[in-house]
Amino acid sequence: MTARFETDVVIIGGGVTGAGVVRDLTLRGVRAILVEQQDVVHGTSSRNHGLLHSGGRYAVRDENAAIESYRENLILKETVPGSIEQTGGLFVKVPGDDDDYVRQWLKSCEKVGIPTEEVSVKQALKEEPYLNRDAEAVFRVPDGAVDPFTLTADVIADAADRGGGLLRYHEVTSISRQNGQVESVTVQDRFTGELKQIETSIVINAAGPWAAHVARMADVPMELINNKGTLTVLNQRINRQVINRLRMPGDADIFVPAHNVTIFGTTGVNVDRPDDTSLDRDEIREMIQEGAALVPEVENIRMIRAFSGSRPLYQEKADSDASGRGVTRGMALLDHEKRDGLGGFITISGGKLTTFRYMAEKTADLAAEKLGVQAGCTTDREPVPHRVTDRDFSKWDLSPAAQKKVQYWAGTNVERLEKSLHESVNASEVICECEQVTWAELEAAFPEDRPFHLGDLRRRTRLGMGTCQGTFCHQRAAALAVENGYATNQEAEAALVNALETRKKGMTPLGDEQTRRQTEMMDAIYCVSLGMQKEGESNV
Amino acid sequence: MHLQGLNDLDYNSCLKCNACTVSCPVSNVTLDFGGPKHLGPELARLTEQQEPIDDKRIELCTLCGTCDAVCPEGVPVSSLTANVKALHAEENGTKFRDFVLSHAEYVGKIASAFAPATNLTMKIKPARKVMQWVMGMHADRQFPVYRFNNFKRRYTKKTAETKRKVAYFTGCYATYNQPDIGDAFVNVMKHNGIDVAVPKQKCCGVPMFANGRMKEGKKNAAYNVDSLLAYVRDGYDVVVTCSSCSLSFKKEYLHYLNSAEAEELAQHVYDANEYLRFLKEKDELNEDFGAIGQRAGYFSPCHMKGQGIGNPAMDMLELIPGYEIRDLAADCCGQCGTFGFKEEKYPYSMKMGESMKEAVNELDAEITVTECGMCKTQLDQLTEKKTMHPIEVLAKAYETV
Repeated sequence: MTARFETDVVIIGGGVTGAGVVRDLTLRGVRAILVEQQDVVHGTSSRNHGLLHSGGRYAVRDENAAIESYRENLILKETVPGSIEQTGGLFVKVPGDDDDYVRQWLKSCEKVGIPTEEVSVKQALKEEPYLNRDAEAVFRVPDGAVDPFTLTADVIADAADRGGGLLRYHEVTSISRQNGQVESVTVQDRFTGELKQIETSIVINAAGPWAAHVARMADVPMELINNKGTLTVLNQRINRQVINRLRMPGDADIFVPAHNVTIFGTTGVNVDRPDDTSLDRDEIREMIQEGAALVPEVENIRMIRAFSGSRPLYQEKADSDASGRGVTRGMALLDHEKRDGLGGFITISGGKLTTFRYMAEKTADLAAEKLGVQAGCTTDREPVPHRVTDRDFSKWDLSPAAQKKVQYWAGTNVERLEKSLHESVNASEVICECEQVTWAELEAAFPEDRPFHLGDLRRRTRLGMGTCQGTFCHQRAAALAVENGYATNQEAEAALVNALETRKKGMTPLGDEQTRRQTEMMDAIYCVSLGMQKEGESNV
Repeated sequence: MHLQGLNDLDYNSCLKCNACTVSCPVSNVTLDFGGPKHLGPELARLTEQQEPIDDKRIELCTLCGTCDAVCPEGVPVSSLTANVKALHAEENGTKFRDFVLSHAEYVGKIASAFAPATNLTMKIKPARKVMQWVMGMHADRQFPVYRFNNFKRRYTKKTAETKRKVAYFTGCYATYNQPDIGDAFVNVMKHNGIDVAVPKQKCCGVPMFANGRMKEGKKNAAYNVDSLLAYVRDGYDVVVTCSSCSLSFKKEYLHYLNSAEAEELAQHVYDANEYLRFLKEKDELNEDFGAIGQRAGYFSPCHMKGQGIGNPAMDMLELIPGYEIRDLAADCCGQCGTFGFKEEKYPYSMKMGESMKEAVNELDAEITVTECGMCKTQLDQLTEKKTMHPIEVLAKAYETV
């Protein structure tokens, strides 16, 4: 039997864009449900640098994107402060880079209003000791670091608190249309197989690299280029601020600090499948060689994993009417009523993490117009609840490092977290040592809607994101989950097998000695001590 | 021997395996300590290019260096924990007690000047109660005795004339507490036809590092490098009878000073028995030992184990006819330099010393041999056996002919 629901807007895709749209609409009082085939923020939204652009990178080549980026940069610092570290950024010219570009860049930044300040190389090296000592010119810009995991999770949580709907691990199986108008979306629960039909006036396709696939379900032709970029995670944080190479944007020219690590990348290769997140050892090696121009030590510093994600680049083809109302080349807002004669169907694609709120605003504007809703956008001033809490955790038996993590991380989970500290025996124990994740934090982060999945906890707490990539914490978390009734034995084992596979996927392509030793230890613990079989086969 | 590959503070090779924490003498007796992995490489990674984190539990780290010795990846764990100690001391200041304990040299100078009075006072129970109350030094802890006739008064030779020349780094313990070790060393060298010079020197700095007084420690280190390197460049070998002092030249100085001079000096520093073993390898050792019929247990100090040179003391003592030396194969003694004197650390110290005490009792030899004066303090407190420095035994064997 198929369960039936009714709403005004169904948003397909739980990335940062979909998150922005569901929050924007909910704030306007529109009923909206967000549907996501996996966990939220599993795709492109988390598979990037986590760079809060100042716009500097686009100043020369894409003026509009630069203007939008800087404006959104300022808005997000105010509205989602908990997911942003205001690191500042440097643009660095190294030997061999074009002098003309520097002049052009400074002129463009001035024109679009991005503040820049020249810094002496000596000062820059003092601030960023890993920088190439032969750097020739350095400029300061208001870049920042944004955590896409917490950003998306918090934006969705705020929408949910205000009445927005969320269906995770629900895959869209069909979109039905009637008389040139969308009518309903049918989704299937990936775990139970249960089908749910959601009647709706509007469907917003925010599926990122999957957008063409979703459009096809509504019989709408759409071409999308999925351009895969590869990044690596350094084991340590090497920079206080964002380091960009001052040249026409290319590969391997950005280092972004992300909590305890630095994210380095990227590359660009067109791929066929939206879920192609494969990694290529040679591509990684070339990227590292290129990155050495900016940070010479990058060739020696240990990396803990690589990952890749696809930029969904919309291709207009012959359809010149399709790019939507005044949106820039950076994003593509498609009103399929005008474009394809399908009422109520909207696609939002392209864009940047930095401009997600603006993309959501424009998309929600279009949806509101179609629904005849008057309420305007408020996301440019309505803040998302902060992650940092002023609650005093010193009375709990937490190590200073774990206490700092909780203080900067608990946010809206603080009630659940304190409840766990009150009630659970293991609450103050550090489960993931590399990232200082306590059991209390895990208990507070367990999504209530799904069976046990370590990836869900990882995205919400950083469990297993550090040096050992879950070698120790995965089994601890799984064991405690069983002990505390969050999972059955079977679920825990399946979760472990899955977590090991995904962690190793990002480690193996690095191919360096240290990573090999780390995976060797991982195998020793899971496959020898715990008797799990390699390659994801279960013993049970 | 120079410890290779330890001259930077890279923690990136840490696999998080826990070998250091499992082997840590402190972690083995209490959960109050965060363990070397967390307070070393982990905390370094969590604070790199970020705000520092001050963790009080670092006070329980003794800088024994066991973590360094067991790390399969060569992570300089104890140098990383020493940095955390320094940060903690900077943030919170150090107690007057820790100032006193970390200045073994000043204390030695003063205490030895008034040696009879000092030694007597340290044995009077009420006086010790007052000291515990005022200074936080545990009343039950036996203190090493101080000698008025210290080694500086006994031996003042500043140059050597023989083919092989030794620059002897005496260390505070052999200078002020047990100058007999210094005498024995000079005699052993004399039996090998080697002149001993005693260069100008300051406390090696280990007690300062252990109490987070990094700046002072580095100052002493720089002074010693300066003084000793002049001898090295003049053809001297630097030989040390205290295992903590020798380890500091071989390891700590490289990390903390990070200079070419420290590196150069480290190539020429020998533990006393390591030096004798080296002479034997060169066929230069006088093996004319008289027989000593004695059963002895050898207790290896952490700072000797940490040098990764095996058991040079046993290698030498085994050459003495009739001498039966066995390795006690015991863990850390628990005194750990200044650690065991402190009121709040004393219970941990006693607990840590338990396994050593058992090993000594089980072997039931006539004496215990160890290089470290602080280990001797704990051995004296916890066991009934007499404790000697291996060089003293060797000197006796030469004289026994």
